[in-house]
Amino acid sequence: MEAYIGIDVGSVTTKFAVVDKDGELISHIYLLTQGKPVQMVQQGLTQIKQQLPKEVDICGVATTGSARYLAGVIVGADLVKNEITSHAVATLRHIPEVQTIVEIGGQDSKIIIIRDGIVTDFGMNTVCAAGTGSFLDHQALRLDMSIEEFANQALDSKTPVRIAGRCTVFAESDMIHKQQMGHHIKDILYGLCQALVRNYLNNVGLGKDIRPPVVFQGGVAFNRAIVKALQEELNTEIIVPPHHELMGAIGAALLAHEEMVSSNNGSKFKGFEASEEKYHISSFECKACPNLCEIAQISINGQVLARWGGRCDLWERSPSN
Amino acid sequence: MRVGISHLGNLSIMIKAWAQRLGGGLILPPANSQHTLSLGAKYSPEGLCLPFKLSLGNLIEACELGADTLVIASGAGICRLGYYAKTQEQILRDLGYNFEMISLNLSKDRLLGLIKLSKRLSNNASWFRVISALRFGIAKQIAMDKIERVVQKVRAVEQVKGTANRLYAKAIEAIDNADDYHTLKKVQRDYIDQLNHVAKDTQANPLIVGIIGEFYVTLEPFSNLNIESELGKLGVEVRRRTFISAWGKFSFFFNYLGLDEKSKIHKAALPYLKRDVGGDGWETVGEKVLHAKEYDGLIHLAPFTCMPEIVAQNIMSSTKENIPVLTILCDEQMNRTGMLTRLEAFVDLLKSRRRARNNTQHKGR
Repeated sequence: MEAYIGIDVGSVTTKFAVVDKDGELISHIYLLTQGKPVQMVQQGLTQIKQQLPKEVDICGVATTGSARYLAGVIVGADLVKNEITSHAVATLRHIPEVQTIVEIGGQDSKIIIIRDGIVTDFGMNTVCAAGTGSFLDHQALRLDMSIEEFANQALDSKTPVRIAGRCTVFAESDMIHKQQMGHHIKDILYGLCQALVRNYLNNVGLGKDIRPPVVFQGGVAFNRAIVKALQEELNTEIIVPPHHELMGAIGAALLAHEEMVSSNNGSKFKGFEASEEKYHISSFECKACPNLCEIAQISINGQVLARWGGRCDLWERSPSN
Repeated sequence: MRVGISHLGNLSIMIKAWAQRLGGGLILPPANSQHTLSLGAKYSPEGLCLPFKLSLGNLIEACELGADTLVIASGAGICRLGYYAKTQEQILRDLGYNFEMISLNLSKDRLLGLIKLSKRLSNNASWFRVISALRFGIAKQIAMDKIERVVQKVRAVEQVKGTANRLYAKAIEAIDNADDYHTLKKVQRDYIDQLNHVAKDTQANPLIVGIIGEFYVTLEPFSNLNIESELGKLGVEVRRRTFISAWGKFSFFFNYLGLDEKSKIHKAALPYLKRDVGGDGWETVGEKVLHAKEYDGLIHLAPFTCMPEIVAQNIMSSTKENIPVLTILCDEQMNRTGMLTRLEAFVDLLKSRRRARNNTQHKGR
């Protein structure tokens, strides 16, 4: 059976999706990156191999997410694709009439505007990561509750309080201020959800033509309180697709399929054995000019596979040569 | 006299040639680097823009090299540029540097101001020497800009990525070393010839992206993380109106004759913006309107906190001329990975848009 792997290595989570030649999801994995992208990609490979039936033949692999180049080197990707395109491809397959995609992940958030099945505009948060998953996790941890409990409590709120959401530092001090004044935790939590949604729409969504159907995906879409706040703010139904947290990986897998159909070459996939290899990551400061770029490199058995991080091409080496 | 200046793209090559013919005395600070930026950002008020910070960094480096006279561009426009010379002077004095400060208001004094400045800095050299020095500098600038226009095309279609950039760097060096018009012409011809003979992908029909926005960040590759090279790697041909030689041609010569390249651009912007909003904001809006049909997409470069460009950005999102625009704000916090992700996604967007347009054209037949 032909199958294609999509790997989305984000800042907080690492996702694997395997699709068959009809684009149907046959297997998936959701792991925490824990600051160790290389190990997590290898661990994911091991786990996905165990999940897949024996007769599966991997015909193509694509990587996406902020560690897409690194992951691409490790697995031998046929395609390395940015997150925006990957997300759009996956959503369009499941909800072809979509006009707006809201994606909120661990460290960044995006908006993708689609008309007639084509991406016409997009935005990513620029100077500030306020309102992404990491901040919600941090608040749940501070209040000693799981993120599920956070959502349940927030959904219970009848009289949410107003939280300053422009910046996470101010949001947190405002939450503490409200809590010390005697407001209910549930009202503060839902107030925070509303503040994050407002912040998202005012920053990432600024100047974008948001029209329904609106699809909400990424890890934060698990949080039903945020979904509700977004629904209230946009005054339209919010669709949270099944496997919304895997959309980037699914999109990458679909793109890997497309890439292999149009190319005549075989897959560059290194095989599941790549999970056994010992990769060595190191970095150094280039002293060739006053820019002092920090160059990162990945090598295997002393042989450098790739380098990146420079302002110029001095150290850049594509994985292929 | 030891004159320090700040950098802007390859302008320093022109100024060097000009100063050499006037008898030297130029202190050229090192090219823009992370060190320059750190110095500039450290001593600038935080909310000021990247051009201010980088040029302040250049001037500090020039002072460290012993400059005793600083030439700073100023203006009387609506943007903060009007205050820059004074603010930079004050910061440098507070840092304890001793220098004479000359602020050059090019938009008001124009060519005559430049010639008067040359007279002053060269201890009253003859008019003939002043004008011939300036002419030779301008010739170098024109040669560099002609070559760069070819480089923008070659980058998109070259088979071995980076070839055009290497040739371009060599060409700049050769132009810098050229001592007379004859050599200069030969260098220009040779390099354009070499660029035309670079192995290219002849099947490629590259996307065409226009670079619009603020003058400094469109011209200084350090400030925009070399965006044109990155687009070249993605197979995109870049077009840009702003070149130092083109700007000088109009500001110094043609404007006197009543010819203004900007009037056409302003006219195009009129339905949306009826007046100058400072900096290059009016031109940015006009260029979007003008290029909507010609190009596949536009990249709008603006320094973070730049008022005129923010005005332009907000107006551009509601013009009826439909062309995708990606705004990139340049500041010292900018990171390369984030920019590349946006560029890659933007290129994907433009490709699928072009594919869809071709499909509908086929159906129409």
